Amino acid sequence: MHRRGVGAGAIAKKKLAEVPPPLFELLNKTFKTHLEEFASKHKQEIRKSSQFRVQFQEMCATIGVDPLASGKGFWSEMLGVGDFYYELGVQIIEVCLALKHRNGGLITLDELHQRVLKGRGKFAQDVSQDDLVRAIKKLKAMGNGFGMIPVGGSYLVQSVPAELNMDHTVVLQLAEDHLLKEGLAWLDSQAAGEPQYWLPALFSELSSRDVTPEEANQMTP
Amino acid sequence: MSFEWPWQYNFPPFFTLQPNVDTRQKQLAAWCSLVLSYFRHRKLYTVDVLEAQESPVFNNKKIERKLSVEAIQVVFEELRKKGNLEWMDKNKTRCLIMWRRPEEWGKLIYQWVSKNGMVNSVFTLYELSNGDDTENEEFHGLEDWMLLRSLQALQTEGKAEIITMDDGKGVKFF
Repeated sequence: MHRRGVGAGAIAKKKLAEVPPPLFELLNKTFKTHLEEFASKHKQEIRKSSQFRVQFQEMCATIGVDPLASGKGFWSEMLGVGDFYYELGVQIIEVCLALKHRNGGLITLDELHQRVLKGRGKFAQDVSQDDLVRAIKKLKAMGNGFGMIPVGGSYLVQSVPAELNMDHTVVLQLAEDHLLKEGLAWLDSQAAGEPQYWLPALFSELSSRDVTPEEANQMTP
Repeated sequence: MSFEWPWQYNFPPFFTLQPNVDTRQKQLAAWCSLVLSYFRHRKLYTVDVLEAQESPVFNNKKIERKLSVEAIQVVFEELRKKGNLEWMDKNKTRCLIMWRRPEEWGKLIYQWVSKNGMVNSVFTLYELSNGDDTENEEFHGLEDWMLLRSLQALQTEGKAEIITMDDGKGVKFF
């Protein structure tokens, strides 16, 4: 039951489903109790250490529990884990809104991370990129207009107005059409090999020049 | 003084005609602005479309990007619509780039004339564009065809009259 790995949660769920109901109840209660104890014992660590949070999340996933499944729920209340991600989500929204006029609503996960850490100050809790990704997934699920586009080994975080249809936002390599259509990307047909797409928001010369909001608006809608 | 290139000049996609309509609008506005300021800086007035592709303004060797002939034509059409370009031939192979329009040149010339108390004097075209007296003026070195146009603009305003003399043209200012 405590083996980690792909599909462990699914297997666990299946095994539980095959168990007769009364026994199932008992098992569930037992797991809950154990996790409760674990959680209260390690509440501080969960809030303080991002590495601990990752491990805790993986453990929950193995037994098919999502501590963030409901904003107000046993887990989030018990652990304060939900609060942590909720607060982080608010911070992420603040950073994206503040920079939107400069980058058109697109920011790398790296930059977002740096700015969130800066905003939290010296004595605040450690926040990892894994934390950010989870918080953004929560925001996305709540319909806050967030999306994550895989690029290279990392992500671009896109904060878009609620009116845009989020279903159109897909992997960057496949989203070229969309980015072009939305005027977020420019086409370069003279690159060696295939046509390339450039984002003024990420053009290093542009960002290093400390562009004024008016200049940035000239290049993005 | 060397020319200061705008940041778009080093942005590779700037040299590809953009498919998105809104993006293209922004792109063309930036190109018009760049062409006019570059030509103004170099005091150039005419362009041969086929040679244009090799000009630094349309060909940035550093980033290995250049505007296609088709794209150059689109930029020129934009400039024409704005009144800054005129085709010299029907086949659109050569054009005049008016980074300053004839009316604007006329105004500068007339200002110089009146400032120096030379109203009612007669000048040859050569004196205006190449004389020692005008050496420090912006219109010094102005090409004949443009000078003539500017004086024609002044003529329409009643501020000058173009005269034909033995060895060429001249102008009297009022």
